[in-house]
Amino acid sequence: MAVRVNPKLIDELEYFGAQDVIKCYHCGNCSATCTHSDEVFVFPRRSMRYLQMGLKTKLETSIEPWLCYYCGQCSEQCPLGAEPGESMMSLRRWLISRYDFTGISRKFFKSTKLELLFVILIALLAGIGFLFYGFGHGDIHVYDGANAFLPSHFIHAFDLWLAAAMFLFLGMNIFRMWYFIMIKSGGVHIPWWLYIKKFYLLPWHFFTQKRYAECESKIKSKVFMPWLVHLGLMLGYVIMLVLVMIFLHRLQSGPEIDWSVHALAYLATVGLLIGTIYMVKGRIKKEQVQYQKSQGSDWIFLVLLMIIVVTGVFQHICHRLGMEMIANITYVIHLMAVVPWLLRMPFTKWAHMLYRPLAMYFAGIRKNALVLEKEGAPISQPIRQAA
Amino acid sequence: MSIQKKIGVYIYENGKEGKGIIDCRAIAEYAKGLPQVDRVTLFSEPKKLNPLVLADEFKKAGLNRIVIAGESPGYFKPAFTRAMAEAGGDPEEVRIASFREHGVGLEGPTDRAKAVVACAVFGIPFGLAAVPGKVPVNPATLVIGGGVAGIQAALEIADAGYKVYLVERLGTIGGHMAMFDKTFPTLDCAACILTPKMVAVGQHPNIELMVLADVQDVTGRPGAYQVKVLKYTGRVDAKACVACNACAEACPVSVPSEFDVGIANRKAIYIPFPQAVPNTYIIDGANCTYVQSEGKKCGACMKKCAKDAIHFDTKDELVEFEVGNIIVATGYDTFDARRLERYNYGVLPNVLTSLEFERLTNASGPTGGKIVVKTKKLNKRTKTEEWVFDQENPKPKAVAIIHCVGSRDQNFNPYCSRVCCMYSLKFGHLVREKLPDAACYEYYIDMRAFGKGYEEFFERIKDEGVHVVRGRSAKVVAHGDRMMIRGEDIIHETLIELPVDMVLLAVGLQATADAERLANMLGIERVQDGWFSELEYNVEPTSTERGGIFVAGVCQGPKDIPDTVAQAAAVAAKVLKSIVSGSIQGSRHRLTLLDIEQRAMSLAV
Repeated sequence: MAVRVNPKLIDELEYFGAQDVIKCYHCGNCSATCTHSDEVFVFPRRSMRYLQMGLKTKLETSIEPWLCYYCGQCSEQCPLGAEPGESMMSLRRWLISRYDFTGISRKFFKSTKLELLFVILIALLAGIGFLFYGFGHGDIHVYDGANAFLPSHFIHAFDLWLAAAMFLFLGMNIFRMWYFIMIKSGGVHIPWWLYIKKFYLLPWHFFTQKRYAECESKIKSKVFMPWLVHLGLMLGYVIMLVLVMIFLHRLQSGPEIDWSVHALAYLATVGLLIGTIYMVKGRIKKEQVQYQKSQGSDWIFLVLLMIIVVTGVFQHICHRLGMEMIANITYVIHLMAVVPWLLRMPFTKWAHMLYRPLAMYFAGIRKNALVLEKEGAPISQPIRQAA
Repeated sequence: MSIQKKIGVYIYENGKEGKGIIDCRAIAEYAKGLPQVDRVTLFSEPKKLNPLVLADEFKKAGLNRIVIAGESPGYFKPAFTRAMAEAGGDPEEVRIASFREHGVGLEGPTDRAKAVVACAVFGIPFGLAAVPGKVPVNPATLVIGGGVAGIQAALEIADAGYKVYLVERLGTIGGHMAMFDKTFPTLDCAACILTPKMVAVGQHPNIELMVLADVQDVTGRPGAYQVKVLKYTGRVDAKACVACNACAEACPVSVPSEFDVGIANRKAIYIPFPQAVPNTYIIDGANCTYVQSEGKKCGACMKKCAKDAIHFDTKDELVEFEVGNIIVATGYDTFDARRLERYNYGVLPNVLTSLEFERLTNASGPTGGKIVVKTKKLNKRTKTEEWVFDQENPKPKAVAIIHCVGSRDQNFNPYCSRVCCMYSLKFGHLVREKLPDAACYEYYIDMRAFGKGYEEFFERIKDEGVHVVRGRSAKVVAHGDRMMIRGEDIIHETLIELPVDMVLLAVGLQATADAERLANMLGIERVQDGWFSELEYNVEPTSTERGGIFVAGVCQGPKDIPDTVAQAAAVAAKVLKSIVSGSIQGSRHRLTLLDIEQRAMSLAV
């Protein structure tokens, strides 16, 4: 198949953050220094080459950007300051926009203002909606039980609808991701049973983020904080999501604390709080390479998360202390942040939470398929025998 | 001047001329005193320049030449040209006196600015008037640095019959070239080419060789520089010493040899290498027990010396002399590979720099030219285990050579060091020649085989079975007894991890540590990368800003041996030209205002 060249691709990627790709002279230092780069998936230099040449199809169907966790070693060692790490980050943003068939994602990445406008608009709509419902059906002085301002059964139903909308978009994006990586890229025949054989990779990578921890060896600190904090944030988020989606009425009944759910909820809150503070600090201080080039989208993510966590904690405390009106107002603010947060997920970097483990899963399948194709021959052969 | 001129001088005063060093009012006063100048106007608001108003002014005063002076007055020229045309004058007669363009801001800025204005008033280009005059020249020449460049330049001048002082910092001349095994691409024995030249220098009646010497101060003018050289004492009488080696055999101290770049040891009394010129032993005071204990301990060498050549009481000596020309040929330092942690140089014993390998593979090196790996040996005196080369050590089965170490890297030296590709290919050849069973890998980014016969040499190396991998290796780590080298083969887009026994780092070249001191002392410029600046890149590659001071060899920029020798010979020609003609071009910045003014006036008439 002839490869189509898109000379403007490199310019387009600038919107996604890749500024210095053109500087690369292909010494291969980045690929060789990366712990995740292996015999099959050699990166980031190859992706840099595709970018320089404008090989859009090759990039679109590539899995490599998802295998990078941005430890920043490649960018630090780059002799020309071509920022391979940042280019991989930008490629991930670009891929998210490619997986999204609606085109919303692309618009968001290109214009932070638009995204901000969307977030504010949705937040206002949500706020008005909840206030309207609350004043129509309940009393602002009552937090739970009968006559509550925002009763948990209503919020529960609302949450489920929201989740359905979110997963509808996300599902379609994931389908496109699968199509790009597994079908469109071609190259190797993939037997169906490999999908089953390698399925364990999906939960394994989702819950451990093991590969992020592998970046650890590169950094001299004894505890590799980014991995731990990232894992804490992610697990905290997942636990909270499950609790809110399924056990909302138990979370909200009070004033006594239902430890069967709250123990987990508190743990999740700690994870979320530490994660958010760590990331905000990192992006302000800019000491680590991976935090030096934040985009507007990254900040919207962090600020929304911050609002959600703080208001969530605050309304919980107010409720337990009996300040039900303040609790209700905080709760509305909390929901005003939650709704746009969930709705923007399929279109922004946040979606990498699902794309990453999926990519590991697909990568595992492809690798296995390649091994099968070589009829059991190991992939890692020394390419040059000693003469 | 055929037609009587009426000249108007307009001086733009923006308050920032030469950061306030230029006194525009003084320049205006001076301009008024120049012949035919009718009026001098200072202006500071360029926006108010109205060509029509100016034209009126010109017409009324009957001006037929306008001089616009200022920091960069070319900016205002269009307004004045139009005004001149409106006034019916010749637009060609609008002259520019640009302070910035003519280097005002150096010495005596106001005087220089006055000279620039004067030239414009006389209608003579500044460059034509401000030509430094000829000054008488002392026929003696100082050559700083005794590498191949210094040797070549010294021999050319001395052979022509003129006196040369050759100052070398170390105990022998020869420089880096003397350490090399072979030269590329001809694979000549470096020592076989260089040592006859070294001997010629040592025996030449016109060359006064000063080793272990350091230029302390240079004053004076082109053609007559007063030089102070500090000669450190070697504590051995060169005339008496016959280089019998009895002293070194007796010496109990053992320290890393500078000539062998630390891969072998020497004594505290030593000769840098057997063919050293001058062929005299030297006592290294910093490591000598006798010197350090102020004569209380040791002294074994003194007792052994049959010729009674060792005199511990000799002192450093400051010599002063005058020369007409100075040739700077101080060469280079190699990049410190420790700065690139990923190659583990200094951590893994068998990661070597290029100079270390040159010594290892050299027949006069510690293993007699055998390529072997380092092994651990117990040092009986210090009771510690050390990694050393020994003739009996095993030979490497695989050798990797990494190009561009410290070069073409923004974090270190951004420039290409120019010689590394070729000497690395030479290493590839030497490995395959001496160890036909060993594999040899070259990791390169771009192959810079730029010279005559170099590309052919590259092809030859490939034929000889050296594996050339495009892609710089990223790391070298321990792998059992061996080492693992990881890199990307860019052409095949694969990662390769190879176990090797020896890694050679093709370290780049950089300016010497004392280049800055030397530049300040001589009053010459350096480029951003640290190399000495030539006067003009294309046509004056050997001259510097200062008359009578020349650069030769790598100290001006990375180059290989043929280019270095060619440049050294070119410098010698320049020096000989000044000696034979009996005069030398002075320095431009030494010209006085009166000099320039008079010359401009004489040209104008």
